[in-house]
Amino acid sequence: MARSTLESARGGIGWPLVLAAAAVGAVAVYILTPKEEGESLIHVAISAEPLFDIFGFVVTNSMVGASLASLILLAGAWYVTRRSTLVPGRLQSMLELPVEYLASIASGSTSRWRSYVGLVIGLFLMILVANWLGLLPGVGTIGIVHHEGGHETLTPFVRPASADLNFTLGLAIITFVTFVAWAIRLHGPIGYLKELVGEPRIMAPLMFPIHLISELSRLVSLSMRLFGNIFAGEVLLATMLALTTAAVFVLPLAFFVPAVFLGLELIFGAVQALVFALLTMTYITMAIAEHDGGHTEEAEEHDERAPGRPDHSTSASAPA
Amino acid sequence: MAIDPEGSTDRDAQPEPAAKGPPNWGIAFDLGLRLGISVILGLGGGLLLDSWLHTSPIFTLIGMVLGIGAAMYTIWDVAHDAMRR
Repeated sequence: MARSTLESARGGIGWPLVLAAAAVGAVAVYILTPKEEGESLIHVAISAEPLFDIFGFVVTNSMVGASLASLILLAGAWYVTRRSTLVPGRLQSMLELPVEYLASIASGSTSRWRSYVGLVIGLFLMILVANWLGLLPGVGTIGIVHHEGGHETLTPFVRPASADLNFTLGLAIITFVTFVAWAIRLHGPIGYLKELVGEPRIMAPLMFPIHLISELSRLVSLSMRLFGNIFAGEVLLATMLALTTAAVFVLPLAFFVPAVFLGLELIFGAVQALVFALLTMTYITMAIAEHDGGHTEEAEEHDERAPGRPDHSTSASAPA
Repeated sequence: MAIDPEGSTDRDAQPEPAAKGPPNWGIAFDLGLRLGISVILGLGGGLLLDSWLHTSPIFTLIGMVLGIGAAMYTIWDVAHDAMRR
């Protein structure tokens, strides 16, 4: 039985695979085993690392990543608005695609969609570019090498902004403030507090903290989900790169293994950006719908100044 | 100016594709995480109060109950909103 398996393996690609698996395993053990206490070849810091400070204001590598993402978005917006045509070309269509898609979704949410569609699209594009920036060569791998106690540690110049909890928490706070502001705008401050207290009033000591925890859980879940997914992706990519870089001397095909994970991270980055934007829209929609049921006469009169759905032929101007 | 319930005007006379609401799968991503976070927030708040007031374990238990209650309320809130839509 063992002999026949051996022979069939010898005839096909069995032996190289067995050898490659053994080599990858040996290399993995070598890489992942700490040489001394606390030392490993894979180093991904959980917090952003400071690069320099300007008059006491510390600039971290995730701030550089966020600034780069903003610059890319500004350049894209400048290009589209400068050279936009009624019949869009390929690049213009590609840049308009996410705007059109989210505008069409938002237009079906409530009759006040024009008031918040800009925020939703802005959040989506910012998170998307920030996530995908982390997949570019050099991001997270080029930086300053420090020698501390005989160990070499790398502080990358650029870190994907979404892999920093400060960035995701900041975006979540913007979302939280927006939907609370919508609720206060529609109910009034006293009305919003009454919503938190609930009915009947005698249950207020129980229901107020429950409502408060439920509201705060939105803020925490928004920020932690995005941070967790992107940071986990960074760790996964670093691990796969370290494993396959060492194994490539044995099996050159190992070079293509990280490409699979890069492709997956490309999808995850887009999905997480979309989830964040859609949840922002859902929370605002819930705040509005609790007040007027989504599509009331009052709401329509309120929006008479800017009625209509996005014109799909010239959708670059849709998010007013 | 006449406005139809969807907010479009007379000028947009040509037939339009039906507007899509926010996809519900965004909520599916959210709900599971919010259940856990509600319990953690309640429990964490109780632990903080207990360490501050030296009343352990009264507020920890109260916080845990409130956190679990908030998690159950979150399910009801999301289901209620989904049914309304």
